[in-house]
Amino acid sequence: MDKVPEVSNFTLSIIVANRAGALSRVTGLFSRRGYNIDTLTVSPMVEDPTMSRIIMTSSGDEATRKQIIKQLDKLFDVKEVKLI
Amino acid sequence: MKLNGAEILVETLIAHGVTDVFGFPGGTVINLYDALYDYQDRVTHYLTCHEQGAAHAADGYARATGKTGVVIATSGPGATNLVTGIATAYLDSTPMVAITGNVASGLIGKDSFQEVDIVGITMPVTKHNYMVKHVEELEEIVREAFQIARSGRPGPVLIDIPKDVQQAQCEFHGGMPKPLLPIPRVSEEALRAAAELIDASERPFVYAGGGLISCSAGEALRVFAERIDAPVGLSIMGLTALDSSHPLKHGLTGMHGHYVASKMNADADLIIGIGVRFSDRATGSTSKYQAKTKIIHIDIDGAEIDKNIDSVISLVGDAAEILPRLTEMVKRRENPTWIAKADLHRQESERFLAQEEMQLHDQDPQAKEEQQLLAQEDMDAQATGLTPQEIIHMVRRYAADDTVVSTDVGQHQMWVAQEYQFCLPRTLLTSGGLGTMGFGMGAAIGASIARGSARTVLFTGDGSFHMNMNEFVTAVTYGLPVVVVLFNNGSLGMVRQWQNLFFNQRYSNTTLERKTDYPKLAEAFGGKGYRASTMKELQAALDAAFSQTEPVLIECLIDSDEKVFPIIPPGGSFDDMIVK
Repeated sequence: MDKVPEVSNFTLSIIVANRAGALSRVTGLFSRRGYNIDTLTVSPMVEDPTMSRIIMTSSGDEATRKQIIKQLDKLFDVKEVKLI
Repeated sequence: MKLNGAEILVETLIAHGVTDVFGFPGGTVINLYDALYDYQDRVTHYLTCHEQGAAHAADGYARATGKTGVVIATSGPGATNLVTGIATAYLDSTPMVAITGNVASGLIGKDSFQEVDIVGITMPVTKHNYMVKHVEELEEIVREAFQIARSGRPGPVLIDIPKDVQQAQCEFHGGMPKPLLPIPRVSEEALRAAAELIDASERPFVYAGGGLISCSAGEALRVFAERIDAPVGLSIMGLTALDSSHPLKHGLTGMHGHYVASKMNADADLIIGIGVRFSDRATGSTSKYQAKTKIIHIDIDGAEIDKNIDSVISLVGDAAEILPRLTEMVKRRENPTWIAKADLHRQESERFLAQEEMQLHDQDPQAKEEQQLLAQEDMDAQATGLTPQEIIHMVRRYAADDTVVSTDVGQHQMWVAQEYQFCLPRTLLTSGGLGTMGFGMGAAIGASIARGSARTVLFTGDGSFHMNMNEFVTAVTYGLPVVVVLFNNGSLGMVRQWQNLFFNQRYSNTTLERKTDYPKLAEAFGGKGYRASTMKELQAALDAAFSQTEPVLIECLIDSDEKVFPIIPPGGSFDDMIVK
């Protein structure tokens, strides 16, 4: 009856305030909720140096993917989360 | 006007309506306490015995009123002692601002005396937290912290302020508090779809929780449930949302929920979850929970939607705004057959208990004899001992409807949730999410202060009480009429119960061979203490307790084999319920 959830890789673009601890909040969320981080890069945004962009690849089923995005959205340092 | 950081902090607290704070001083908050000395006519600081007690008091203060609780601690151990209190507030979505001092900026990162990275430590248990690096940003951060703590789904926010930031001066602007962050309005279409699903359902069941207390939507819940004639089950966090005398209220659902509430929950073809997160203690097996029913999920936190269970329709927003709109859209109806089912289940449960006794009598003669002996012992115990249920009923007769009741964690907590007849919102303060033993003493103090030194009742166990009993001293110091009703069963009852039911009666480390004399302890701390092992003694103790204004402890002796029933074994479903 239960469908086996399909696990896939996906890439997130996360814009965060360029503040001490912002990256830690994002990665801490992943470890505490048991999500995977496969790759991660972070750099200040050229158009707005008060912001940083995190590009992260992760993996999980659809429910996990949705949860990750919603949980990231709740962080006050996170300004935007997009699946790319 | 130039002020130093400590003064700016206190001024900003005052601007946010803060009149009471809880805490404990130390090296890195001396400046802050120096400022509090100047402002003592406007802000009262309550000194506890331990920072954890202060955090629970601030939490209890917030739960009893809806205002943001404020707690202060020094760096290092002061800050780490707050962590359990902050996590308790986080799991139960209580608005709280925790302020910690830290070592001076130049000493940070050098493992200085009493230095810890409290921002790092509390990141997973706060809505947000701050390290203030410059005094110029302090005022804005405090205003933002109060905004975040109460916006949307409330929660704790921590502000860590190095000592030199408290000392440094800058211009104080004295701005107004920030407005709460806006909550998106649910669309007409989404509401319409929910209303249609409700109208089409045959056996709707409302499962409501703490979210309704946060947004004061208890009345809206009553009107909604009456309109669709749906039975209501509540999570422990939402237990006071509806008056216990309401015919649609079936009380607690979940692991230790009432038989009828659980059965109705299991029989429903539509569950309308409002301000709940469908925690494992509420649902048991999630696949079985949702196998035969559809779910509408209403919550202010979008991340709760489809986290633990899958909903057919979700409405993300403020229940106080959603429920009246939804009530207008749904058809007024009566469900006599469905409602009658609750009566059937009630009879079923009574029959079930009676059958159990019958079966015992059918056993072989020797077993029968043993059973009779046990029954006789039971009778003897009843003649001289007390049952948890009758203690709770008796205390309820003394308490007013608006008396705030707090609990610790374990069997006594579940008995209170099952038996105490709550009438008004915010009258039950209990650690539902984190399950923090030792929460209740601090919470009872905070609630008493929040309500103008009102009488509060703490139900606790001998296990829990020992965790934070030092705060009884705080109640004595401030002359708060807290009545501590301590269930002494000489054991860690809830774990013992699990060991009895699921671990072949291997009572590993749950028997408390302590020699504590509780009435003497209460007296030694400066309060009053009584011991009760009969109803007569309990009544005499309650007569005394409820006629004086100092803290009182009443030790009630109960049997160590008293259990909380029903119980749904962890991971089980409503079908696996053990009734007795």
